[in-house]
Amino acid sequence: MRHRLAVLLTIGAVLSGSIVASAQAPDLSGNWIRGARIAFGPWDFTEAGQRKFESYDFKKDDPAYGCIGASWTRVWLNPNVLVRITQAAGQVRLQYEWMDIDRRIPVIDSTAANPKRSAIIPKMPALGHSAAWYDGDTLVIDTVDVAPGYVSTMEEWAGMPQSRRMHTVERLHRSGDVLTIETTHVDPTYYRKPLVVTIEYRKTDWELMEYGCTPEDAAVVAPR
Amino acid sequence: MQLSSRHADLEAALNLKTVAVALAFVAVAAAEAVSAHHSVPVNFDQSRTVTIEGVLTEIAWRNPHARFRMNVTGQDGSTVEWLVEMGATNTMKRAGFPMERFKIGDHITIIGNPGRRDRSVLLRETVLADGTRMNPEMRPNPGGGAN
Repeated sequence: MRHRLAVLLTIGAVLSGSIVASAQAPDLSGNWIRGARIAFGPWDFTEAGQRKFESYDFKKDDPAYGCIGASWTRVWLNPNVLVRITQAAGQVRLQYEWMDIDRRIPVIDSTAANPKRSAIIPKMPALGHSAAWYDGDTLVIDTVDVAPGYVSTMEEWAGMPQSRRMHTVERLHRSGDVLTIETTHVDPTYYRKPLVVTIEYRKTDWELMEYGCTPEDAAVVAPR
Repeated sequence: MQLSSRHADLEAALNLKTVAVALAFVAVAAAEAVSAHHSVPVNFDQSRTVTIEGVLTEIAWRNPHARFRMNVTGQDGSTVEWLVEMGATNTMKRAGFPMERFKIGDHITIIGNPGRRDRSVLLRETVLADGTRMNPEMRPNPGGGAN
C-alpha cells in the first residue's frame, strides 16, 4: 500500500511538471536579480541601422512608457526587479517582475524542423515567439518573429534598433549563485554582424512582487 | 562604441529653471539607477545634483516609478510644479523606504539628479520637515547589482 502511494505521488509529480525535463538539465530554478556586470559586444550598424539609432527620441520612443518590453535584452537589463525561473517537463517558465511578463517556453528537440514555439505574450509583440532546449549545462532560448523596435532603450545603448528580421539566441548558464545570460542578436537589416550582449544575474532570497504597470502612470515623466 | 551626436542633444535638452531653492551642482558617483523603466542616465543628469523644497501635492506609490508632485515657490513668489521621480515602488518596499512618512501638504526637501525635462528630478535623498533624512537605497541589493 505504501509502495503504491509512492508510485502515485511520483506520477503525480511528473504530471504536474514539478520534475525537471531532463536529468542532464542544469538547475536554474529560483529567484534571480540583475547583478552589476553588463557587456555589449562591438556592433556594426548598417546605414539603415545607424539612421534608426540616430533618430531615437528618448522622450517619446521608449515602449516602456506604454508598459511594453522592447526586447528580451531590454527586459533582462532592468535592474532591481526579480526573475523567477521554473523548470518543468517540456517547459521552462520565466516570470519577470518587470511589467509582469510571464514567459512560458516549450522545451523542444533542437533538431526538429518546425519546433513548437511560445505564443506572443499579450501586449508584448516585440518579444516574439520562443523555443528552448538544453545544450549541456546551458539553457538555450531561440526567438523569432519579433515586432520592430529597439534592442535597448537604456544608457548609451538607447535606440539600438531591431527589425522584424531579428533573431535572438539567449544562452543561460549557471555557475553557483551567478546566472549569466548571453544573448546573440542577428538582424541583417540593421547590423552587419551579430551583436552579443552579456548580462549577469545573482541568486536572491527576495520574492517576486506584482508590478501592475499602467500606461497612465508609466507615461508620467514631466510635471503638468 | 558608436556614441552619436544625439547625446549632445540630450545635454542641450537639459534646461533647468532656477527656482527659489538652493541649486547645488556637485559631482556625484556614477551610481546606477535607483530603478529604471525608462533609462535613468538617458533621462537624468547623474553628474549633477539639485536641491528643491516645496509642498507635496501628489504621492503616487506605483510601478514602474513612484512619484511626488510638489509645488515649489520661486523668489518672485510664483509657484511651479516639479515632478519627483523615484524607483519602482517594489524596489522601494524592498529597501524599506518609509512611505508612510509622507503626507499631502507636507513641506519637504528633495535632493536628486536633475531631469533632462524641465522641472523634473530623480530622488536621491529627501529631508522631512523635522530634519529626518531618507534615501531609497537604504537596504543593499543582495545581488550586488546597482541600485
